[in-house]
Amino acid sequence: MFAQGGVLAALLIPVHILVQGVLGPLGIVTVVDRHYDTWISILGNPIVKLYLLVLISLPFFHFAHRLRYLLVDLGIPAAKGLPVQVVFYGGAVLVTLVAVWVLLTTAPLSLG
Amino acid sequence: MSIEVEAAPPTATRTYRPAMGRGWWTRKSHYFWYMVREFTALPLALWLLWLLFEIQRAGRGASGYYPPSSTPFVIFSVICLLFALYHSFTFLSLAGVILHFKVLDKPVASRLIVLSQFGGWLVASIVIGAVLIGFGR
Repeated sequence: MFAQGGVLAALLIPVHILVQGVLGPLGIVTVVDRHYDTWISILGNPIVKLYLLVLISLPFFHFAHRLRYLLVDLGIPAAKGLPVQVVFYGGAVLVTLVAVWVLLTTAPLSLG
Repeated sequence: MSIEVEAAPPTATRTYRPAMGRGWWTRKSHYFWYMVREFTALPLALWLLWLLFEIQRAGRGASGYYPPSSTPFVIFSVICLLFALYHSFTFLSLAGVILHFKVLDKPVASRLIVLSQFGGWLVASIVIGAVLIGFGR
């Protein structure tokens, strides 16, 4: 999951940040999340829900691994221990569960 | 005449632990950029958490939804974008080392594998960008 999360983060996240985080807010392009109607409509699509779950969840397993080893590299021995592993990888699991809950409860399923 | 040699008592095996200061990564630029690469996970995680929050806010109804347009948010996104691009560049560049393919019993050149990864990144960016912009109004 470390590799898959890394690949997904590399392939997909930059364009989301560029469009939804920079170009949209600056008004350079029209973006789907700038209006409630378009945003809630696309969030109801099951393929979009699945895509967003994968986009958010898998990279977190990659991030958990990298950030834990960042602490190890910074000379924090506790980062090798079980409690820290539980916090980091458990955090990735928690984000996954929250993402599932948010995606299932935010917009009703719609194929339109 | 005889020489008596006393056997030395067995000593416990000691593990060699190299002493490395916490600031080792500041000594060379190569080490520093390695740590930056590892650190990219944090801003990307924060941005994805914002995206999740943005999705959750849509569930509150039309009256409670307002898209973020503030300057601090755009600055935050630009910083995250720089880290995201660095993650993409370093991660996809490694593909030539990690992935090994054979076509007609001949190994595919690592440069070609890296090129295919960057090509995939371009295609994915165009498709996702087109969906995000195309469904907007």
